[in-house]
Formats: sequence, structure tokens, C-alpha cells
Amino acid sequence: MLKRASTASLVIGLLCLVEGWTGAARVVAVQAPQSAGGLALTLPNKADSFKFAVLGDFGTGSKEQYQLAAQMKQAHDQYPYTLVILVGDNLYGSERPQDFKKKFEDPYQPLLDAGVKFYASLGNHDDPQEQRNYKLFNMDGKRYYSFKPDTKQSVRFFVLESSYLEPQQVAWFEQELKGSNSDWKIPYFHHPPYSSGERHGSDPQIRSALEPLFLKYNVSVVFTGHDHFYERTKPQKGIVYFVCGSGGQLRKGNIDKSTGLTAAGNDQDQAFLIAEINGNELSFNAISRQGKVFDSGSITRPK
Amino acid sequence: MRALRGLPILIAILSAVSLSACNRSSAPSVDQTKASVPGNTAAAPAAPVNDDARALAAFLERVNQYATLHQKLENSLPKVSKDSTPQQVDAHQRALAKLIQDARQSAKQGDIFTPDTQAVIRKLVGNVFSGPDGAALKASVMDENPGVPNLKVNSRYPDEIPVSTIPPQLLQALPKLPEEMEYRFVGNALILMDTHAHIVADFVPDTFPK
Repeated sequence: MLKRASTASLVIGLLCLVEGWTGAARVVAVQAPQSAGGLALTLPNKADSFKFAVLGDFGTGSKEQYQLAAQMKQAHDQYPYTLVILVGDNLYGSERPQDFKKKFEDPYQPLLDAGVKFYASLGNHDDPQEQRNYKLFNMDGKRYYSFKPDTKQSVRFFVLESSYLEPQQVAWFEQELKGSNSDWKIPYFHHPPYSSGERHGSDPQIRSALEPLFLKYNVSVVFTGHDHFYERTKPQKGIVYFVCGSGGQLRKGNIDKSTGLTAAGNDQDQAFLIAEINGNELSFNAISRQGKVFDSGSITRPK
Repeated sequence: MRALRGLPILIAILSAVSLSACNRSSAPSVDQTKASVPGNTAAAPAAPVNDDARALAAFLERVNQYATLHQKLENSLPKVSKDSTPQQVDAHQRALAKLIQDARQSAKQGDIFTPDTQAVIRKLVGNVFSGPDGAALKASVMDENPGVPNLKVNSRYPDEIPVSTIPPQLLQALPKLPEEMEYRFVGNALILMDTHAHIVADFVPDTFPK
């Protein structure tokens, strides 16, 4: 059950309200309270909502990855999300069978045991042949795919391989978007079209290939990784981009504050995101390895 | 049936090269994309229109010969399914690599990317990377791409080295490959990677324009 702080302790700040143009997603950022026991989540946790988590750049097998995984389990205990979308770099280094165990199965075993499903996209550190056939990544042998989660909410995810965005994949993506009648069309992949990373930053090639489709088919939110921190951008042409690239890796101090892109960020600790879709609203909490909810808010999808 | 496998790809690349000669900046149409899908034999093959087209058509023939060998050898192994364990997938990958390496023991750099193909590939890469976005494109390719000393045909792609990003613009310009093959960069070399076997099938050294 979602732990709620008392009304008196709940400090809600309207940090930004962006409506730069017609059809833009409306973003409301909320300052989260902190509590002594459990995570101080601020998500609505409604009965029929769709709850999911976002994780990227995690498969290191490091102590930090395991510690963040423990926070993910803690979050799940309070807020029972049903699936985790993986934005790539799922295993670093070798991908022997024992690596799948050490870098994925062991840290997330409590979530797997609880029935949480993981849906992977491929990053530049991932071996497509090994991972797309790995049952627990639910890729069904495909490098790119789409799926509709089991929920009453109108949601479809589109999973791309951004390191090899060949014309056939882009054509497939457009056909999938065109054929989808879901209200929430959510693409996720590894390389961020918008990012304030000093190491990588925005990928203009990916942006020019995909952004026109996002705009044409009314995408409101995109999840990516690659840069090893958490960032939520200000809406870019009405779309909010999340970089969730610190699921195990971390590049401290790597957010370039001069880009003007950042609505919120954390380059000081590993982090993951949990989110909830209810009707036209997507609420989110970003949670650090230390168990702090450091970014919260909601995105309203334009109708 | 397999003899026809390369036909639509051949049609597509001939069309692409012809169009490219007319207008370098034009993107492939949806129809071109459809034409490159194996099994689509709607159009009759056109004769190669110039030396570059001929070189790329011959390159695709060699790629398809490789793919045919790959498929024959892969079909001799237990199939990987969505229920396979990581052990089974890994064993399959390494067993396929061994079969291909044995079958292509004498393979050397330049067998698939022959010298005339290398020249055309360098030209296509040069066209993409010499544009106004060239520096940014090269930066994205070289990101986390330190290269490999003594890159060899038939060798396993190094586990510790991430794969390079291939810009969408370059993938539009290069001939479309069968499902089991990909282009990647290792340092300055453009490699033809067998993704099922995780090995280097061939490569073009020093691909980027100086």
C-alpha cells in the first residue's frame, strides 16, 4: 500500500507549469515529503491505474546495483507495479550465463518472485542475440517490438533498438504508431534524443529520425538511458523526455546545467523511476539508492 | 527458393544507387523499403547502371552466399526459442561461431568487402560524413568505440567492447543486409557482423575520409 504523508507534512510546490504551445503535455512537478519508514511516495496508487517502473544502464553486478534493486523491492512492497521497462545497457561486459544471473536474476529475484515482468530494449553494451532470446527480458526473439500491458488503461509501449535504427525499423515504428488506438503511446529505447549529459548528451540523429513520428502520433512521454544519471527534461515540442541511465552505473556531476533542458535531475546517486497512468494523467516518482524520492510530478496527456 | 533470396535485395540496391546518383539528399521512399524485404519480387531486376552499382550488387551476392552458409549451419544446431535458457543461447551462439569459423577457415579480410566494394563503401560513408552534420555523426559513431588491435575476420566480437551506434543516415545509404548481419564500426573499420554467431565476417579498414 502506498504510504502517504500527513496533509500537514505534505509540501506540494508547483514548480513548473509549461504550456508553451497547443497540444503540449502539461507537467506539474511536486516536491516530495520524506518519511522515516519506507519510501515517501506521492503516487495516487489508484485501484485500476497502470503502475510500472523504469530502469536503465544497470547490469554491472555492483554493490550499488544491488542496493538500488533493494529499493525497487521496497517500492514494490508499497506500490505494486506490475512491470519494469528496461531502457538498455542491461548487462555490461561479458554475457555468459552466469552474468545473466549475477547482473540480473540475483538482484531482481525478489521482484521476479513477486511476478513483476521486465521488458527490455537493447543498449550499445547489449548483445542482441543473447538478450532478445532471454526469456526474462520478454523480447520474444525480437530486436524491436511493441506490447500492450495487461491493464484497463489505454497504453502501448514501443521498444526500439536505437543503436541500429535502420529504415525498416523506422517504417515499422510508424506503422505500429499508426495502427495503435491506445491513448498513451510510449516509446522507449537507449539513446536519448534530449539529454544534458556532458559525456553523451542529446543524440541529434535519433532525434531527427524519431521526433517527427512522436509529434505526428501524439506521443507525450519518452523513456531513455545511456547517460548515467537521471534527468527529466522540460517539454520539448510538447514531449517530456526521461533519461533513466543510473540503474547501476553513475557518472557523478555529469549533468550539464547550461543546456536549459533540465526540469529535474540527479547525477549524485543511482536511481530508478516508478510511474502510474490513470486516464490522461501519468504520475511519477524518481527514487534514489538512498531511498529518497527526489523528483515527483504528473504529466497530462493532451486529448 | 534460396536462389531467389538475394533478388529483391539486389533490386533495392540497384534502385537505391540509381536514385542516389540523381539526388543524394533524397530519402528512400516507403516503396523502396518494401522492395528490399525478402520475398517481395514485384519488380524485375534492372541491369546495373554503373560501376558502383555493379560493385554493390556483387557485394550483396557475396553477403547472400555467406547468409546461405550461415543458415545451413545454424539449421544443423538445436533451435533457440523464447524458452531457451541463457546457457542454451550462449551454447548455440558459440557452436554456430565454431561451425562458421571451420567452414570459412581460409577467409580473409576483403573476401566479402572486395577492394572495389571497399572503394564504394568508403565513398558512401564519405558522402554521409562529409555533410554539415559529419562531425556530430562521427562523434556518435566513435562514442565508446576504442577499436580493437589486430581485428581479424572470423574472430569473436570482443565481449567487453560495446557496439557502435550506426547513424540512421548511414543505414539508409548502405545496402540492406539479411537479418543475421549488421554493419558496425570498430574504431575506423566498418565491420560486417554476424549477430547470431557474434563474429566478424569481414571489414573495411580505414573507412572514414581523412
